[in-house]
Amino acid sequence: MTSQVAPDEGQATEEMNMVTAVNETLRQEMDRDESVRLMGYDVGPIGGVYRATEGLIEDFGEDRVIDTPLSENGILGTAVGMAMRGSRIVPEIQFMGFFYPAFGQFMYTLVKMYERSGGALEVPMTVRMPYSGGIKSSEYHSESTETFLVHTPGCRVVVPSTPAETKGLLAASIRNDDPVFFLEPKKIYRVGTESVPTEDYTLPLDQARYVRRGEDITVYAWGAMVRHAKTAADAVDADVEIVDLRTLSPLDVETILESVKKTGRAVVLHEARRTLGLGAEISALINEYALDHLHAPIKRATGYDVHFPGHQTEDAYMPDEQRAQYAIEAVMDYEF
Amino acid sequence: MEQWSEQRPSEEFYRVLDPDGEVVSEPPDVEEETLRRLYRTMVESRLFDEKTLSMQRRGEVSIIARSTGEEAVSTGSAAALAEGDWCFPSYRQTPAGLYWGARKDRGVAALMGAEPETIEEHLPLEGEPPVNFTPIYVPLAVNVTNAVGSAMTDRFRGDDVVSMSYIGDGSTSQGDFHEALNFAGVFEAPAVTICQNNQWAISVPAHRQTATETFAEKAAAHGVPHERVDGNDVLAVYERSRAAVEQARQGGGPSFIEAVTYRMVEHNTADEESIYRDADEREYWEEKDPIDRFETYLLDQGVLEPNEPDDLREELRDEIQAAVNRAREVPVSDPETMFENHLHDSTWKREHQRAELRAERRGENPFTDFTGEGLQ
Repeated sequence: MTSQVAPDEGQATEEMNMVTAVNETLRQEMDRDESVRLMGYDVGPIGGVYRATEGLIEDFGEDRVIDTPLSENGILGTAVGMAMRGSRIVPEIQFMGFFYPAFGQFMYTLVKMYERSGGALEVPMTVRMPYSGGIKSSEYHSESTETFLVHTPGCRVVVPSTPAETKGLLAASIRNDDPVFFLEPKKIYRVGTESVPTEDYTLPLDQARYVRRGEDITVYAWGAMVRHAKTAADAVDADVEIVDLRTLSPLDVETILESVKKTGRAVVLHEARRTLGLGAEISALINEYALDHLHAPIKRATGYDVHFPGHQTEDAYMPDEQRAQYAIEAVMDYEF
Repeated sequence: MEQWSEQRPSEEFYRVLDPDGEVVSEPPDVEEETLRRLYRTMVESRLFDEKTLSMQRRGEVSIIARSTGEEAVSTGSAAALAEGDWCFPSYRQTPAGLYWGARKDRGVAALMGAEPETIEEHLPLEGEPPVNFTPIYVPLAVNVTNAVGSAMTDRFRGDDVVSMSYIGDGSTSQGDFHEALNFAGVFEAPAVTICQNNQWAISVPAHRQTATETFAEKAAAHGVPHERVDGNDVLAVYERSRAAVEQARQGGGPSFIEAVTYRMVEHNTADEESIYRDADEREYWEEKDPIDRFETYLLDQGVLEPNEPDDLREELRDEIQAAVNRAREVPVSDPETMFENHLHDSTWKREHQRAELRAERRGENPFTDFTGEGLQ
């Protein structure tokens, strides 16, 4: 489906970057529904290390913007308890690389409570995590380990790629009754602004969007990689279609297949390590359900199977427009 | 250390009834109806354990973990809750649910492996339970963190609801226990945490879990008031739990109670306890049985007539048998229920895989879709 957020004529808009879109959405959702609460480390007076919650504790008080002790598992575990009791809780994990202490609560309670209770206990929670690399932070602050989440049933995984997408997807996540992981690509937190409708709105949590239509090859991307896909698409001598997955779980399999059946070629562009990265799943789906349509093998332009490197080598690790372009050109040049 | 013998842990704790049922400190003011309900619950749990053990031996139930010998802990503590409160049990608190009218037929059906959706369909709950019980937690100590979150929500909303959770001695070594109590302390959450110290965590004795003298004192590190009680004395457990629940309800914040008891039986039916502990340890504890002690007291007080213990056991055995019979009537869960209640909405993969399973069960090849448009 094509679902670009394009403001209607005469609709009030504001120029926002991704961080201000997060902040504005949190504010609107807290205004709209008093059961929405934020919690996390440094989310209070300092407004989060990226300032995504700036000003909210002043407006909503410390019972709704809850600065917690420094314990990711404590945050997630108490958040599950709050959600079970009807708080629409939005915990922030400061960096995705800090998520792992919370893996116990994630695996044991967060994704299983709804199923184990036969649907009686819901966990309406949106876990916000700044994620991915590209800003020279450091190794533990730059990872893209969405595979762990996507591999696990019982939660949704959402990654926005623009400020306007951020607003609609985050609002939908908060209003959704399932646990949602909302991964914010920090490389594009402050890269550029766009006109975002002032009114609140939601976007679907199970539909990819076509960033641009093309006939020759499909590039699947999400988050910060969508920009690189666009730049590469402009640079190559081919008519490139770009699919922004938006929701990594559940995957919009219909759109994934629809696109490749038309173009017959596919590249998956992601920051995560290659092995069992989401590219593997997309490639497998295409192999299982669209092999007849392929004119070339599928290529995965991704990070390497290494730990996220330090500042000096980070750029060499990160997929960018150049790597995307190489992958597109290689697939376009291939002949069976 | 004398203190740390699993056979003879220190008896420096709050106790009302000694092992012979003699009153050793001022008994709490408890209504006769409540006394009878406490007693009934403990006997009911003991008999429920006996019945489900026999079902396990016959292969009707795959595995059980009995509460036998530890009944006073969760009976006395859960009894301190009130309507609208929340309880987050682990797997050795059968009496907590029974005290609040948990349906034995549903419990047996769950032990027999029925999916929750199937149980709800064939043995539906009628009305809201007075106290809210979460599903039984199997991973250890994660329930305490959830319970503290539940209590935080009530504190932030200004509701006078109390959340109670249970862990064992071994679980106090888990990070979740400390993280939960730390949050409870910081946020003054109305959360009461009960440590059912039964001296053994499978094969590992209590002295291998910690170098502290008691489990109770661990709460001090988190600024949480704590207490150590005789876990085989239901009146002691009830009295101190009632005080903790009351304090939490009044805005006084969390409490931690270590109830000293003993696992009279195997860890679960897959365990072989003779490998790691002596049988004479059990003899010492048999004399401290929580049901015998309370029964003696109630007979002495005239709360129970002499014939009542036997009559009650007969009545409960019939009730339990009837529950087992109802559970046996529940049909085997449809395998497709495994796909239920993961997300609220349907997904492409769920429907696709459900169709694959359906085909496979019909004896058809489930791998015939090469277009993504469904099985051919």
